[in-house]
Amino acid sequence: MTEEIEAKGLARSFGDLVAVDGIDLSVSEGEVFGFLGPNGAGKSTVVRMLTTLLSPTGGQAFVGGQDVVKNASDVRRIIGVALQDAAIDPLMTGRELLKLQAVLHGIPRPSARKRGEELLERVGLAAAADRRVGTYSGGMRRRLDLALSLIHEPRVLFLDEPTTGLDPTSRAALWEEVRRLNSEFGTTVFLTTQYLEEADELAGRIAIIDYGKIVREGSPADLKASIGAPTLRIDIDPQNLDNAQSVLSGFGIDRPARDGRVAIGLDGGVAKVAEVVSALEQHGVEVLHLELDAPSLDDVFAEATGRRLEGAEPST
Amino acid sequence: MNLVNLEIRHSSQVASAICMRGMRRIKSRPVLIIPTIVMPVVLVVSFTGAFSSLTRIEGYGTSNIYNWMAPYGALQGAVFAGLGSVASSADDLEQGFFDRLLLTPGSRFPLLVGTVGYSACRALIPTTAVFLFSLALGMTVPGGLPAVISLYIATSLLAVVFCLIGLIILYKMKTQRSLMLMQVIAFGALFISVGQVPQSFMDGWLKVAARYNPITNVLELSRQGFLGDVAWSTTWPGLLALVSMILVSGALAWRGLKRLAP
Amino acid sequence: MNENRSGLRLAGTQTLELTQRSLQNEFRQWVVILPGLIFPLMMAAVYSSQFGRTLGLPGFPKVDSFLDFILPGSIVQAVSFGATTAGTALALDIEDGFFDRLMVSPVSRVPILLGRLGGAAVIAAGKAVILILIFLACGARIRSGLSGAVIIILTASLLVLAIGGLAQSMAIKTRSQEAVGATFPLIFVTIFMSSAFFPTALMDGWYRALAENNPITWTVDPVRRLVIEGWSTTDALQALGVPLLLSVATISLAIRSLQRMLRSA
Repeated sequence: MTEEIEAKGLARSFGDLVAVDGIDLSVSEGEVFGFLGPNGAGKSTVVRMLTTLLSPTGGQAFVGGQDVVKNASDVRRIIGVALQDAAIDPLMTGRELLKLQAVLHGIPRPSARKRGEELLERVGLAAAADRRVGTYSGGMRRRLDLALSLIHEPRVLFLDEPTTGLDPTSRAALWEEVRRLNSEFGTTVFLTTQYLEEADELAGRIAIIDYGKIVREGSPADLKASIGAPTLRIDIDPQNLDNAQSVLSGFGIDRPARDGRVAIGLDGGVAKVAEVVSALEQHGVEVLHLELDAPSLDDVFAEATGRRLEGAEPST
Repeated sequence: MNLVNLEIRHSSQVASAICMRGMRRIKSRPVLIIPTIVMPVVLVVSFTGAFSSLTRIEGYGTSNIYNWMAPYGALQGAVFAGLGSVASSADDLEQGFFDRLLLTPGSRFPLLVGTVGYSACRALIPTTAVFLFSLALGMTVPGGLPAVISLYIATSLLAVVFCLIGLIILYKMKTQRSLMLMQVIAFGALFISVGQVPQSFMDGWLKVAARYNPITNVLELSRQGFLGDVAWSTTWPGLLALVSMILVSGALAWRGLKRLAP
Repeated sequence: MNENRSGLRLAGTQTLELTQRSLQNEFRQWVVILPGLIFPLMMAAVYSSQFGRTLGLPGFPKVDSFLDFILPGSIVQAVSFGATTAGTALALDIEDGFFDRLMVSPVSRVPILLGRLGGAAVIAAGKAVILILIFLACGARIRSGLSGAVIIILTASLLVLAIGGLAQSMAIKTRSQEAVGATFPLIFVTIFMSSAFFPTALMDGWYRALAENNPITWTVDPVRRLVIEGWSTTDALQALGVPLLLSVATISLAIRSLQRMLRSA
């Protein structure tokens, strides 16, 4: 196996602001790699550097063995990129955009047409191909964007937050398509997302970036296992917060939780729950609500960054 | 050798695809082009109406005010056409479509050529509108076909100049707003030239400014065939001015694009 | 009767208050005022350097220089920039909900419109003063003296009220800042198709007819006579009267549109 994507000490600053602070990454051929992080953590900056849209201010990166700075044009030949917000011209039709994209990549006309039809069929846009993109729904735009990024049969596909703002059905359809690409053609996929669920669903390996640094890396299963103890979350009266925390500290390590709630990694698991509750009651802390979760990527994230992802309220 | 040929073919295809995309956008939303047509026509109406008596003054160069003002209006329209294509680029930049173009393998130069080509094509629209409109109201074409050809060459190339100048600013500022400033500068550049009266009418600072304003040469190139015959002695200074402006602004725009996109 | 008067006084203070708000807004983005000064100055500079020979044309009024001739036109043009601001700002207020907040407050309705207009009129007077000073420094001469200059400044303010009232009724009808902004080129053309930059006597045909029946011409011509000929009470009254009547008309149109909008709301 060769490394399709490799970054060594890759860094980028904008003036005084360090957006990406010397990260190392390696993604093997045929992998689906999930790149997670909250808004503004540096995800998009990394993608823009790997896809030659932005020059690094430090370190090196290679895609398909080619240096993204020195051999930018060769890199662009082998990558497909579906950009954040599906950058498409609302005044053109889907078919026109595919045709333009084919010309941009120097695909001879007859094969471009054939490939275009195939892709439209594949992403389910054949019927809407001659409509202006401005009339498309969010899901349709993303699917067109995906088709556009595939026109030149790229070896490496970059998807920058491909499902942000999509409804669950469209999201599932897009996931299905990404899985199919990966299994049928062995396309390497580099996926950025703020949805833990999405990374869990698709990626064989993930990295979490926070404040421009990689804070965790590994397979979702390994990362979850590394958390160890399940999370116990208890809703209490905020007045009792300090009291409750001192009681709980005897049962496991503190985990971040939202207001009005305390959370710990519960050593000993389910068996200890009753003990925790009675200990709290003894100290006059009333338990309003309680839940126990096996470790999730959310916990991994929270443990790594000390924060919860937006919209990633733990599932019960 | 073959590889080089292939590269050149790809580049020219990219450039023409970018140019065609712009034209197709106009076709799909014709409203976008209306200001580009209406503005210069209104300008011709206003200037011919307000200043028709200028032809009564000795030495004006023509007895038909339309022959004087139409090329001016057409060039003004071309400037707005050039800036209009920059506005489309600004849209692309703000909507992220520009990134898609930047992901094209090969040199970025065809992207610039395509945009510039689009503005040259776009300029044909107001030029034709002004030409036909003025013709209908009594303009004559003493210079015949060469007059029309020099008008179209001058307007298309001037559109290219202002497209490039606009792109320099856009690549630096990256916002649509910055183009407001361009409109004022462009209008001013044409204003301080022989737009409305010949140099012999001017005095003081304006005479000097108009003499060294390259737009004056362009105006004389485009207007010559409407005042008399087309002559090489008037043609080459106009072409030289246009080509020099294109080279300078082109080099700066190219530098700006490379700085914007590694 | 008494209640009426105190209501009126309240409306008065509210108008002043809102005038102040719109003035503050203007000054916060004072750069926006610059094009309105620079553009007419550039036109005046170019025209007075290139139209010197036109002064000899039969039909051109007797003036010392083209600079004197173009002074009123330049001021009208300068204040027309930003005259629509009273409308675009109102449309913006409607778009972003500030208008609704005013509507639920006990401010009576009319001051909301007048406040904006008042701000625009004060700015216009300021612009007129600046332009007159620059023109005088460049060698222009106002033959009617200080009293003439005062009339010019008041005329400029009244004209802005007229244009602003029109823009406000558009703002209320369209509720779109963009639509109101789009009327600016129209005003630009209207000023061009008047005697602002060239005497109507030297124009021909339908264009001349249009220019002679343009309210801008009716306003500019008496102002110009004050500049190039000297004091005349008739001219002063016409210079003030035309924009005054226009502004009464457009502002009552705006108020009526507002009342209709409130009734249908």
